[in-house]
Amino acid sequence: MKKALAFLFVCLALTGMAFANGADEKGDSERITLNVMGYGDNSNQEGISWRRMVTTFQEENPNITIVDELLYDQAYHQKVTARLAAGDAPHLAYMGADARWGAPWKEAGMQIDNRPYIDTNLFDMNLIPEMGPNGERYYLPIGTSNITTVLFMNEPLVQSLGFAAPETYADLVAMVPAAKAAGLQVVSIDGADGWAWGSCLLSALIARTSGDTQWVSKAVAGENAFDDEAMVKALGLIETMVADGVIDSKNVLVDYGSNISAFSNEQALFFVQGQWAAGGVENTDVRNSMKLMAWPTLPGQKSGMEGSVAAAWSVGYGLTKRAEDDGVQEAAAKFLAYVNRVEESTQRLRDGAIVAPVNKGYVVPDDLPVEVAQKVALAQSSLNTEVIDAFLTGPPNDALNAGMQKIAAGEATAAEVAAEVEALARQ
Amino acid sequence: MNPRDKRKLLGYAGFIAPGLAIYLFIVAYPVIYSIGLSFTDYNPNRGGEWSFVGLLQYKTMFSNPMFWHSLKNNMIVVAVSAFGQIPIGFALAYILYRGLVKGRDFFQSMVFLPQFLSPIVIGILFRKLVGADGPVSRLLQLMSGDPGKQFTLMLKSGTVMLPIAFALLWMYTGFYMVIFLANLQKIDSHVIEAAKIDGASETQIFGRVIVPMLSGTILVTTILAIAGSLKGFDLIFAITTEGLQRNNAMVLPIFMYQTAFQDYTNTMRFAFGSAISNAIVVISVALIGVANAVAKRFNAGEIG
Repeated sequence: MKKALAFLFVCLALTGMAFANGADEKGDSERITLNVMGYGDNSNQEGISWRRMVTTFQEENPNITIVDELLYDQAYHQKVTARLAAGDAPHLAYMGADARWGAPWKEAGMQIDNRPYIDTNLFDMNLIPEMGPNGERYYLPIGTSNITTVLFMNEPLVQSLGFAAPETYADLVAMVPAAKAAGLQVVSIDGADGWAWGSCLLSALIARTSGDTQWVSKAVAGENAFDDEAMVKALGLIETMVADGVIDSKNVLVDYGSNISAFSNEQALFFVQGQWAAGGVENTDVRNSMKLMAWPTLPGQKSGMEGSVAAAWSVGYGLTKRAEDDGVQEAAAKFLAYVNRVEESTQRLRDGAIVAPVNKGYVVPDDLPVEVAQKVALAQSSLNTEVIDAFLTGPPNDALNAGMQKIAAGEATAAEVAAEVEALARQ
Repeated sequence: MNPRDKRKLLGYAGFIAPGLAIYLFIVAYPVIYSIGLSFTDYNPNRGGEWSFVGLLQYKTMFSNPMFWHSLKNNMIVVAVSAFGQIPIGFALAYILYRGLVKGRDFFQSMVFLPQFLSPIVIGILFRKLVGADGPVSRLLQLMSGDPGKQFTLMLKSGTVMLPIAFALLWMYTGFYMVIFLANLQKIDSHVIEAAKIDGASETQIFGRVIVPMLSGTILVTTILAIAGSLKGFDLIFAITTEGLQRNNAMVLPIFMYQTAFQDYTNTMRFAFGSAISNAIVVISVALIGVANAVAKRFNAGEIG
């Protein structure tokens, strides 16, 4: 009897183990399991929207089960690398196609041309950049290009000190004494995050000092050197800004959240970040009255670069090579369209996550928040230049980011940092 | 061997086999696999193809200044653990054991409390403490009268390990204190009473009775501290921000992680990461060997 019970128990255990992973991708002819990797967390709007979209999509499509993983910031980047290395790629994932967001997918051979899965009746292909040599689109961006070097101005605060929107760098310098007397910073940056210096500041400066919108990609290709005069001048501008008090050296200790909070709490006249940070300004008075602008004319700036901003392809969702099965591809394409439908694009627009949607014939609502309208205006009026970490990655990029922090902290000179980056880039 | 001995042997093997199998699969196999990997250019994203590259990864590792910088920082962490956490933990345990302070349970709980918190939470807490205009900076501003004063030790390579050492002490000292306290409670109180009757002072009781009796525990905690210090990743990763701070405070596990998981310019990065992880294992084993040798030299082993 005992033996029979033991045998039965072992059989049950083995059966349980065999079916512990649930049904496979297409267990029967109707049910499809879609493995998806989303971006966001439960505390930000993108994450909250994601949870809602997954739930409602499954309700509307009972034959599709979504197994999703929602990650944000560094956790996302770490998990992508780990999952791809482990051969556990999702069917559909948040991704990019540049050096920062696209490298893992490219190296793992998981990028596929998503054009067959993008419904051209719903999305404007002219707004989606060509990402591969043959015009491939590896994903569907959630919006048009992202401006990464926006100068957010608290206009009422600037005016209260007796100033107007700066047209030149000298105008910013002129604000320093009054701002200091009032206990305010002039320009705040999340300088504790190395990437912020590169993506949100130097990307704008290098285009201004070189007069070339594509200086970075040319440097990565070896046509320019990172210790060229233009780069030394651009890095030197950081030295100058700190020396002039335009950027306080303490910003090397300020993280992303604290930077936005300082501006939101009216402790800084300006802050530097990407356009997506607009929605993070929680003080509605400040958010409704702030102005989004490009850096004013800078010392040593080349002609023709007035008002330029750095911009990178927006990230988005794309099918991966793992979505091989026809049924999975169909379900993934359906979900891809769902997360980018007009309602979601409008929500992202309102949240400040994007500049403009890629939905075909999209009509901008009349009641959009002020800062969103400004973003659109800035995107339409400014000259776009390259974002550094869309092209430069690995040790040279790390050295550049840490180098700018050293410059701001008075630990290194522009020439030293430029030489170090050039040496690493050519290794 | 007679049948009875054979049966005994099989019985012993039956007891050992499950544990041995788990050890070989979970501990030995990854270590051996990692050693093999470090002599190749393996990258799982290239479809499993690999070539033998000899000592290339090790040559690259030894010629990388960041490796030596990370190793130096790791040695600081080891020193803080072995010569900070353990002595302080021991001293605190002794104070509590001898009832030299009132409210023993309260102090025991307070010192052990950080053990209940995730290292990530503690890391973020310390990051906020030492951030711009954070509580530490505010204190400095108050003391100096300079409203612009900031706590900048995290920005300098030479000083970054000081706040981190403080965080390490705060977090792990309670763990060692509890180990020592548990072992102190095993000591026969008559031994201490006898020493007192013989006229020994509190310092003499501690130095000549307690320490020798707990030398085995000291050795075990030292081994735990060395192993823990060399593989420590989470706390330092969470305290520092990406860029200058993390570069300054780089330790081998973070260096290994950044190399293997983030440096897409290096197509051999997984094999290179394996070489770094092997270096961590070798250094751990060497340091534990030194600890054992020192313990042997002083005849460590609990008496009684």
